[in-house]
Amino acid sequence: MKETPKERRVRSRMQPGVITLNGFLGKDKRTLNEIIETDERELQSLNRTAEDLVQRMQGFTDASFESFTNSVLLEDIYEVETEVVRGKLPCPFAHSGLVRKTITTLTNRKKNLTVRWTALNIHLIKEHHFFEGKGSTFRLDPTSLVAALFD
Amino acid sequence: MIVQIIKDIVSLSVISGILAVLMVLAQKWLSNYGDCKIDINGKRELTVKGGNNLLSSLGDKQVFLPSACGGRGSCGACKCKVISGGGPLLPTEKPLLSAAELKEGDIRLACQVKVKSDIHIEIPASIFNIRRYNATIAEIIDYTYDIKGVLFKFEPGDKIDFLAGQYVQLETQPYAKVKQKVVRAYSISSKPEMNDALQLIIRLVPEGICTTWVHQYLKVGDKVSMTGPYGEFYIRDTEADIIFVAGGSGKAPIKSMLEHLAVVGCNRKMTYFFGARTVKDLYLTEEMQSFEQVFPDFSYVPVLSSPEAGSWNGKTGFVMPYFKEVVRDAKQTEAYLCGSPGMINAVTKALIELGVPKDKIYYDSFG
Repeated sequence: MKETPKERRVRSRMQPGVITLNGFLGKDKRTLNEIIETDERELQSLNRTAEDLVQRMQGFTDASFESFTNSVLLEDIYEVETEVVRGKLPCPFAHSGLVRKTITTLTNRKKNLTVRWTALNIHLIKEHHFFEGKGSTFRLDPTSLVAALFD
Repeated sequence: MIVQIIKDIVSLSVISGILAVLMVLAQKWLSNYGDCKIDINGKRELTVKGGNNLLSSLGDKQVFLPSACGGRGSCGACKCKVISGGGPLLPTEKPLLSAAELKEGDIRLACQVKVKSDIHIEIPASIFNIRRYNATIAEIIDYTYDIKGVLFKFEPGDKIDFLAGQYVQLETQPYAKVKQKVVRAYSISSKPEMNDALQLIIRLVPEGICTTWVHQYLKVGDKVSMTGPYGEFYIRDTEADIIFVAGGSGKAPIKSMLEHLAVVGCNRKMTYFFGARTVKDLYLTEEMQSFEQVFPDFSYVPVLSSPEAGSWNGKTGFVMPYFKEVVRDAKQTEAYLCGSPGMINAVTKALIELGVPKDKIYYDSFG
């Protein structure tokens, strides 16, 4: 499907060096719609929704937020730590407001899986069902994410 | 038939051409606002060319409002009071204004207000002290594996007047994949008395455009620009005891404060807790400990949350449990905090529980 002018503007904001150093698309040549729809189908096949994931990710981030230099053990399985660094980032889809720069690292001890996400990842999944393009620094593969987040 | 089609095409082309010319002329006439006057606080008047936004119009005249997003309307840092001439509030501004600001009615985002006529604004007087500075990189020190100290020397004769604890906004230059300048805020880590140069302590942030530039591209001798000073984080001139708490690059403004107090003299009881994860995250330890010889009642207390076995004999865990060991009279204690919001929240909560008045807890939260 051809990209609309709005999608082109969003894509331009996702390029390396605009909002983040390496951008949001990696080496992915698909349109934004294709990226989003493919990930949505994958999520559907796992019987999960973006909302399920966001609720879980936000919960883990919030629970580890105040332990600033330590990790916390949650539900006896999840070792989580959230690092906050100076600054905030805008949403490439041009939502107003800025998102704090945080990196949450979660290790599912039972399955020996580790995933990491940013506060902007949570926003992008919640508002746009966007998991980033393949090869981007903070791309979240829906299958790996679901496996790590749920027992 | 074919002749008629050609005639129609020619007619349409002529009409389109005329319309295009009319649109260009209209654009030129309608968007020409001529010279406009910006009245600041009823005390200063600037004449600017109309048609640009208020933030950049002020910047062109060396009046710098804070801005973290470079005028994209996404950070809300450039708020100011527009008394008249600002036009109606735009939908792009509303999400960044609080309920109280919306009720007040004249708080606007300077980057969204277009200067089309004479305009009357109010900004804090301290904004007039904010200037643009051109500097040369004089020194780069590796403090840790991901923290550098960078010394910026101003052009000959140029001096900055700031309060210890304030920050500047550093402008990057395009590099590698980064095609446009970005602006990022960093606390000044040197003392105000050294006013022909300043030092910033900058931690490498994953995917950070500015920090990657500083860590991987900047070298001694490079020319850079910055604006400042900004911020309300500075030492209050009282006799109260002081607790400083910092983590990571949050050491910067506290270093500036201590260096300043060493110059002007200070007899207050001061304790500085620095929270880090491991020994390799500690830096400037000897410099901070040396203040114990400078001040009559000062101690530097590094606290590690996850030291490797056998690597550390000092305090461990969180910094908060150690506060009660140093607080003499909570009501007569001030706290100065710089670090992540999680740290600020936890430390503030602990200090309030000890009885430190909330309005005596000052902080610079990352972000």
